[in-house]
Amino acid sequence: MISQKSWADDMAEQSCLLCSIIEGQVPSKKIYEDDDLVGILDFNGANPGHSFVLPKQHFTILEQVPNFLVGKMFNVANRISSAIFDVLKVHGTNLFVANGVAAGQKVAHCMVQVIPRLEKDGVNMSWSPKQLSEEEMSTVEIKLKDEIGKIGLATEVKPKGSGGEPKAAKVFSESEGEDNYLLKQVERIP
Amino acid sequence: MADDKEDGEAPNEQPAQQGMTPEQVAELQEKIKNMSPEELREFQKKQCIFCHIVSGKVQSKKIFEDDSTLAILDINPANPGHVLVLPKEHYSIMPQLSEEEIAHLFMVVKTISNGALRALAAGGVNVVVQNGIAAGQKAQHFMVHIIPRKDNDGLNFELPQKEISDEALEALRVKLAEKLGSGVKQIPLAPQRPKMKEFLQKKAELAQKGQVDVKGVSPQPDETIVEVNDDDSDMKMEKWKKPKGAPKKRSSKEDKDEISLDDIAKVLGG
Repeated sequence: MISQKSWADDMAEQSCLLCSIIEGQVPSKKIYEDDDLVGILDFNGANPGHSFVLPKQHFTILEQVPNFLVGKMFNVANRISSAIFDVLKVHGTNLFVANGVAAGQKVAHCMVQVIPRLEKDGVNMSWSPKQLSEEEMSTVEIKLKDEIGKIGLATEVKPKGSGGEPKAAKVFSESEGEDNYLLKQVERIP
Repeated sequence: MADDKEDGEAPNEQPAQQGMTPEQVAELQEKIKNMSPEELREFQKKQCIFCHIVSGKVQSKKIFEDDSTLAILDINPANPGHVLVLPKEHYSIMPQLSEEEIAHLFMVVKTISNGALRALAAGGVNVVVQNGIAAGQKAQHFMVHIIPRKDNDGLNFELPQKEISDEALEALRVKLAEKLGSGVKQIPLAPQRPKMKEFLQKKAELAQKGQVDVKGVSPQPDETIVEVNDDDSDMKMEKWKKPKGAPKKRSSKEDKDEISLDDIAKVLGG
């Protein structure tokens, strides 16, 4: 799916602001760059140091990003978070992914946000819990378990003792129809 | 620190501090102060409800499990299908995890996020990591929250946009880039740069005309733009532009006491 780009993908990429930033056509405040990823500072962040980690290749949602790159993205986000702790002496950091319009995604380019936190800084990254009945919980449990069982985990990336960079992992085999469902969520992004 | 805890996620409450007199709490705090790092870690594990969930002493609704990772349903969910992904090993905050552990953990996160989108017909998913109490962390065991989202579900993550002067931002950029060892150098100012709006307009126009190869189009007269990367403030991106008024300048150096990662982890543990 990643190798076979459709015309629509091409168009999406060409109109993507963040792709323009990555290519250097639009100026940005880069703090990190490697072959696959770019880390930039937000011009109007929630707090000074608010950063984005972006894959250089255009992916709209997290589910499209290959596993090895997901790992790398969050590792770089974690390094940025550690650097923010050191440099800004903040009291906390949030890593945040808004995946899909309903989750607050505003740009059609998948990213991990790193948000430096201080007490009472006007940022809200918590929630009030909802009460579900035992039955509702069980229904959700079964649904999720089933679906995750169907998707399965790619096993190429080993958690411990493998050492070094995780090797390129297999992308989930996703059928066309399912892909379309996921993409429908983000097509609503202007 | 325990007193400003919101009664959020019930499983996150620290069992050691329930039903204790102030004297006992003080005694406990004194004891924790005098512990070696190893002892402290052992102590944290014993007190950690999530370690008990991992070991099976406390029941949970398990969604996924492998050698190093456990995913369970949050019993006080932000939304139905709210999943917590935990490393089985006890860590307080993300910087304590190894690269391999992070890579694996987030591969699991991606899988579960994918599953939640499909199984629950969610319109989106939020992945949230909270490092430190200031970031909203309530449990002493590091975890990743996966929150399925629907339109108008009552959840509201607020990310206000704050103004920061260009000098401050650039100073911060240099420091962070240095710290990250990425050696990203600022490329000097180009003499003339086109405005972002014009550039995007041109792009859109070309795209409309059906010229597919608009990617490399240089916005205005010179080609230098491609390499430009600087800090003219009116080049701020449209998407991130804050509506005028109410700008609150913040310097990058808030006069906060120095605090180390260890402190942040320790606070959660104690």
